[in-house]
Amino acid sequence: MNAPVSQHRDVMRSQLGRARGLGSGHSGTGHWIAERVSAATLLPLSGWFVVQMFRLGGDDYEEVAKWGGRPLNATMLTALVISSFYHAEVGLQVIVDDYVHGKAHVPAKFAVRFGTGILGVLGVVAVLKLALGRSAPKA
Amino acid sequence: MVELRLPRNSTVGKGQFFPAPAGAKNVRTFKIYRWTPDDDKNPVMDAYEVDLDAIGPMVLDALIHIKNDIDPTLTFRRSCREGICGSCAMNIDGENTLACLKPIRNMEGDIIINPLPHMPIVKDLVSNLDGAYAQLRVIDPWIQADSPPPPDGERRQSIEERAKLDGMWECILCFCCTTSCPSYWWNGDRYLGPATLLAAYRWIADSRDEHTGDRLDSLEDTFKLYACRTIMNCTQTCPKGLNPAKAIGRIKELQVERKL
Repeated sequence: MNAPVSQHRDVMRSQLGRARGLGSGHSGTGHWIAERVSAATLLPLSGWFVVQMFRLGGDDYEEVAKWGGRPLNATMLTALVISSFYHAEVGLQVIVDDYVHGKAHVPAKFAVRFGTGILGVLGVVAVLKLALGRSAPKA
Repeated sequence: MVELRLPRNSTVGKGQFFPAPAGAKNVRTFKIYRWTPDDDKNPVMDAYEVDLDAIGPMVLDALIHIKNDIDPTLTFRRSCREGICGSCAMNIDGENTLACLKPIRNMEGDIIINPLPHMPIVKDLVSNLDGAYAQLRVIDPWIQADSPPPPDGERRQSIEERAKLDGMWECILCFCCTTSCPSYWWNGDRYLGPATLLAAYRWIADSRDEHTGDRLDSLEDTFKLYACRTIMNCTQTCPKGLNPAKAIGRIKELQVERKL
């Protein structure tokens, strides 16, 4: 048999050293709980939202704005927006962990947090504008 | 980033064909992954026609027959031929299992045999498990107790305490589960994998072990434990019928229990 093609090795660290790596990050349980709690919160909130959308179907802008201006509806909408984007943040981080490796990993995780955070704030501001940005509904 | 294609030097080509001897009546074709580090060539799938009437019932019997009587260059690991050593773990018809426990008659058509997925290859069906063995070493798979053992010898367990180890002590460390796990494929350098986590829980659940908290501490990591996405390939593929996914779930439950 011929000699091996190349004798060069760029990693000579022991397998045990590699397996131990940087050790435990002592986190992950909070993330795991957050995934499940936010999913469970979204169930009733999404159900409520779907039912309300069917009830409002066909109403004009004024009617819907009036509906969104009521304190209970505004509270539920804010909770829905926060839960949705929090759940998206937690879930997208898992996808980044799975598929983005190497130097792009840490920036991608920050990008996910920043993106979902900004979108969540945008959603909350929109609900607040609906609730507070106009004179209180008479009905 | 994630790799969607095999690297150019890993693309599998067509290999040699070894026809059955004249007069063979019960013939099956085995297509087997072949690669050697001794030349610069890509891996190929060699096809061997085997007379099933001339061999035993298991896939391992066919492999031994091929090596003894058809092609002595075929390389694979095997030892006990009865499902207790874990040496002949390989991917047979798309499923990681032990060749010695896999009956040929239960399979239809050509039988396709590959090494355990996504591991470095030593040669042919022999994959390099050094990294997986080192990960097992990381979880300290032995009893850790500060209380001295009783003077008359052994540390005792109740029947109930001993029963908690059932479904875990049977693991033979063939790593069929670990190499079937997509999460291990993507993050095998940081995720410990189902075989090692099953072993970790075996010691967490052992009433004689006194370092449960330390064990949970070292596992609490976004990747080491929580890269498990409950895909369940591990439990589906285990040739010993064990349930690593359940053990991983129990570790997560304990992590939550001590946080809340």
